[in-house]
Amino acid sequence: MEPNYEDLSDDRELELPAEPMRINMGPSHPAMHGTIRMVLELDGETVVDLDVQPGYLHRGFEKSCERGTYNQCFPYVDRLNYVSPMLNNVGFALAVEKLCDLKVPERGQWYRMALGELARICDHLTCNSASAMELGAFTPFLWCIKARDYLWDILEQETGARLTHSFGRVGGMAKPPTDMFKESTLAVLPAIEEALAESELLLLKNRIFLDRTQGIGKLSAERAIALGVTGPLLRSTGVDYDVRKTNPYLFYKDVDFDVPVGHDGDNFDRFMCRFEEVRQSIKILRQVLDKMPTSGPVDCPDLRYVLPQKEAVYDTIEATIAHFKIVMEGLKPPKGEVYSFTEGGNGELGFYIVSDGSGTPYRVRVRPPCFFNLQAAREMLVGDMVADIVPTFGSVNMIGGECDR
Amino acid sequence: MPNFKLDGQEIPFEPGETIIRAAWKQGIEIPHYCWHPGLSTAANCRMCLVEIKAQRPMMLPILAWDEKKKDYVETTKPKLQPACQIEAAEGMEVSSKSKEVVQAQAAVQEFLLLNHPVDCPICDQAGECKLQDYWLAHQTKPKRKETEPVHKPKAVRFGETIVYDGERCIMCTRCIRFCDEVVGDHVLDMRERGNKNEICLSPGRELDHDYTLMTEHVCPVGALTSKDFRFKARVWFLKSAPSVCGGCATGCNSYVDYDPRYQRVERLRPRDNADVNKFWMCDAGMLSYHRFHQDRLVTGRVRSGGGVAEVSRAEAIAAAASALKASKKLAVVLSAQHSTEDNFVLLKVARDLLGASKIYLGALDPAKTGWQGDEILRHADNNPNRAGAVAVAGGPLEGTAALAKAAAAGEVDAVLSLGFAAEVDAEALAPLSRLPHVNLATHGGPLAQVASVVVPVATIAEASGTFVNAKGIAQPFQKAVQAPAGITAAWQAMTELAAKLGHEVAMKKLPDVRAAMPALPAPAGA
Amino acid sequence: MSKKVIDRLKAMFGDRILESSSLRGDDEVRVAPKDWRDVAAFLRDDGQTLMDHFLDLTAVDYPEREEARFDVVLFLRSMKLNHRIRLRTRVAEDQPLASLIDVWAGTNWAEREIFDMFGVKFEGHPDLRRILMYDEFEGYPLRKDYPIARVQPLVPYRQVEGIEKLAPFGDDEGMPFARVDWASRVAGADLPVSTGIGASTGQRKNLSQGAEYAGKVPVATDE
Repeated sequence: MEPNYEDLSDDRELELPAEPMRINMGPSHPAMHGTIRMVLELDGETVVDLDVQPGYLHRGFEKSCERGTYNQCFPYVDRLNYVSPMLNNVGFALAVEKLCDLKVPERGQWYRMALGELARICDHLTCNSASAMELGAFTPFLWCIKARDYLWDILEQETGARLTHSFGRVGGMAKPPTDMFKESTLAVLPAIEEALAESELLLLKNRIFLDRTQGIGKLSAERAIALGVTGPLLRSTGVDYDVRKTNPYLFYKDVDFDVPVGHDGDNFDRFMCRFEEVRQSIKILRQVLDKMPTSGPVDCPDLRYVLPQKEAVYDTIEATIAHFKIVMEGLKPPKGEVYSFTEGGNGELGFYIVSDGSGTPYRVRVRPPCFFNLQAAREMLVGDMVADIVPTFGSVNMIGGECDR
Repeated sequence: MPNFKLDGQEIPFEPGETIIRAAWKQGIEIPHYCWHPGLSTAANCRMCLVEIKAQRPMMLPILAWDEKKKDYVETTKPKLQPACQIEAAEGMEVSSKSKEVVQAQAAVQEFLLLNHPVDCPICDQAGECKLQDYWLAHQTKPKRKETEPVHKPKAVRFGETIVYDGERCIMCTRCIRFCDEVVGDHVLDMRERGNKNEICLSPGRELDHDYTLMTEHVCPVGALTSKDFRFKARVWFLKSAPSVCGGCATGCNSYVDYDPRYQRVERLRPRDNADVNKFWMCDAGMLSYHRFHQDRLVTGRVRSGGGVAEVSRAEAIAAAASALKASKKLAVVLSAQHSTEDNFVLLKVARDLLGASKIYLGALDPAKTGWQGDEILRHADNNPNRAGAVAVAGGPLEGTAALAKAAAAGEVDAVLSLGFAAEVDAEALAPLSRLPHVNLATHGGPLAQVASVVVPVATIAEASGTFVNAKGIAQPFQKAVQAPAGITAAWQAMTELAAKLGHEVAMKKLPDVRAAMPALPAPAGA
Repeated sequence: MSKKVIDRLKAMFGDRILESSSLRGDDEVRVAPKDWRDVAAFLRDDGQTLMDHFLDLTAVDYPEREEARFDVVLFLRSMKLNHRIRLRTRVAEDQPLASLIDVWAGTNWAEREIFDMFGVKFEGHPDLRRILMYDEFEGYPLRKDYPIARVQPLVPYRQVEGIEKLAPFGDDEGMPFARVDWASRVAGADLPVSTGIGASTGQRKNLSQGAEYAGKVPVATDE
């Protein structure tokens, strides 16, 4: 194109390019959390259309699950939404237990709730602080990550790993809670609340932050429902749908908490929904830690499906045989299919398990909440500008592991 | 045929058959330990108890827990009958899934495991153990005994081949009955009583008959283990291929259990065939799999100058072609150790395409190898496929001694032989060493020692084929493992050799060969 | 889950509902492929079902069932009435199924994923292309007869229409680092290269050689 040195008072029309420009964003891009490729059609700075292309982190999770036993799926399931792995563990374990009709003892259920809420807090802290960082606010990111690190220390104390725990088991958990669980968690919660409060102080009156998140990336409630959106993305549009309230599982109906709901469906509402949910999770955690029995079994004692305690395995032949059968042949749920759903970090995390009666799952389908949330990204972004892609995409909280599996 | 009902399903039975046998014939398994279709009934394990609905059932007085009264109350329950002992009758209604039967099965299983050692990690039977399978299917609960299990002798040497573990034994007496009834040798018996029971040997004896490995085969638990297979492989890594034993002319049906990761045969097991071997195999047959991986010819051999050079298989076939090219009086040696397909293609190429007129048979001489037949399973002839080779040739055949005589007399100018077996040794075959002689073999033998070219071929575990046994039954066997690099079945090597000599043989796959073969008696049995 | 939904469907569609079940409280009905879209649209619009919330659409492969090897399963939920239903149909290998994209917009990507993973085509879908796998991928990975360790053929560099994408750098273009001529180096050649880059990539054996090049523009390193 020739340089345009003409005087603007000239009557001739300015020759500007008429077709939109196609530009590629990602998959290796600092703002594309995980890896997503977006092919943008831009008219100047405005996004005319965008084609979101996921799949760069597809690792064949569903196919891999068909190659082992049910308990061997837990490491795979961890790597789905890898910022809140305990929620995936709990979700999958609940699905297999629904199929086998197993009842986990009370203490195990409370323990699952506690670890799940810890994971949820980690997820929301990461999402919000990373979004803020991409808008230029680096300090809240560091504070929230430091808070998250305290939580990871607790999870490391409980499960042995900071991130990919593989701690869930069909019928219970891998180990009972440690003696220090309650005290150490209660000691850490004030630090989380403080990080939250300080970050909000920095951000919520900041002109730049408000201009870049309010009114950007809007999604209406009807479109969200038709698109299959769930989680904070749906709640920010004003729809009050939280699996923990509508279809309570574990002991969620015995704890008191609120579900934060937005009204505009823009980035700011999502940001606020997540921070509020962290506060609600802390509230749930305090109640769970109070109500969780301090002694008692964590695992269901059904030797057909649940691994026996190691002391019994070394001592009695029945436990050895049970251990042998579950490990070598896999636990054998009855033939059939089941769909079990929980509230994951991003929305309704569902597991659809098809069993053919053998120790290997026939099909494990994950209903990935952020796959459908990402589908909404196109509608949210068309009409906004290139610079708005970054906060909007950050607020969708697209976790590559869950979206692409 | 008269019928009885088992769990609502009509089961036909022959008069005199027990419930469990009639159900077994229909493919339905009533859980059992001590019953075996090939042995007499002992009814000592009590696992096969079933409820038979009768007009006036025999009721037993028992104490049952009453949930409302929170105490035991006197009541009665129907007496259950062992399905292995009760003969089926027309119109009988049997239930193997009623509440009492399920309780009885759980109780029997609990009893059997009361003193069982925690041996699963080191027990060979793991993965094919009835205690494991029935515990998961019928018990699933821990036992209620908390005292130390009773200890008995472990790893007792019963003989050259078998080791006995007293703690794992459930006293089903299958091994005792097998030795008594099938072998006719009462070498095993039970001693002591109650929970001190163990299997013992006759004083001064050990398990030394020819079917000792069958005691390990019938043992439903890991009490009797074979020294040959002990700790060698875990059964869940093994795949099975249906096969036929190549030890003698009985042609016992077998399973070749091999590890596909390493392509090694780890053991053989008998395969049921009512017409040939019933349920059994002899020790020699069971151990014959060692030959698949020992002393194999994996390269070709060509005799040149004073020595024998190892060459690749392709070079060996080329050398074989040039050795036979100029032959006018070709002699063929079929093999009673090779499949009918191998013999057929060899003869077809040699006789029809290369003009061979003299046909001989290479077979092992039982007297020379110390083989003795018996009345049970072992045939006097220790060659599996003499009948097949003879059927392919269309008439009786002379042995390799006659070939040596013909070679000495100058009636033969080249030899094409199959197999390692010859009834004489290499010295007797000396007249052949001056002739161009191509030997296709799996192992070295007298024929390979006098051959000028040796081409390696596949064993019966590495290529499918058919054996015709002494009764004239043609039995197919299936390939199990891959032959070592590049080695094919003998019939395939023959088609390549024919191609090198300019003759295109239209048989590329085994079904082509089988379609071209003369009709053999239909295979019988499973 | 609600049995009322099954009853309503049976009342409206009669024997077009081929099968229904409620294992572990999951209500499910099966319909024929020709009724797929009608039943789905009814579920969304009917006042007693009101299944406006689309949850998931997936498929299961049963290769032994030759006449209809794929089960396509739809998961729905009602926002207002908070009940759920699972709708299932069976399609054969090359049989296309009606797309539900105009009933719920969310089925767009779900159908693309089923096409990508199983090869089931959806009629009426505006943009049925692969979503998780790359376009040149051969085969349908979640089918039971696709082995997990199959190696795909290497794909030539893709030119995308409308995007001015530069080809990968030629031998004498772009940044000079990490383009080592290994053959020469192994043979003992001491290649002239700028100071900083040569040291970090190990292309310069003799550090003193750098002095000659100080201040000069880095030179391309290959022959």
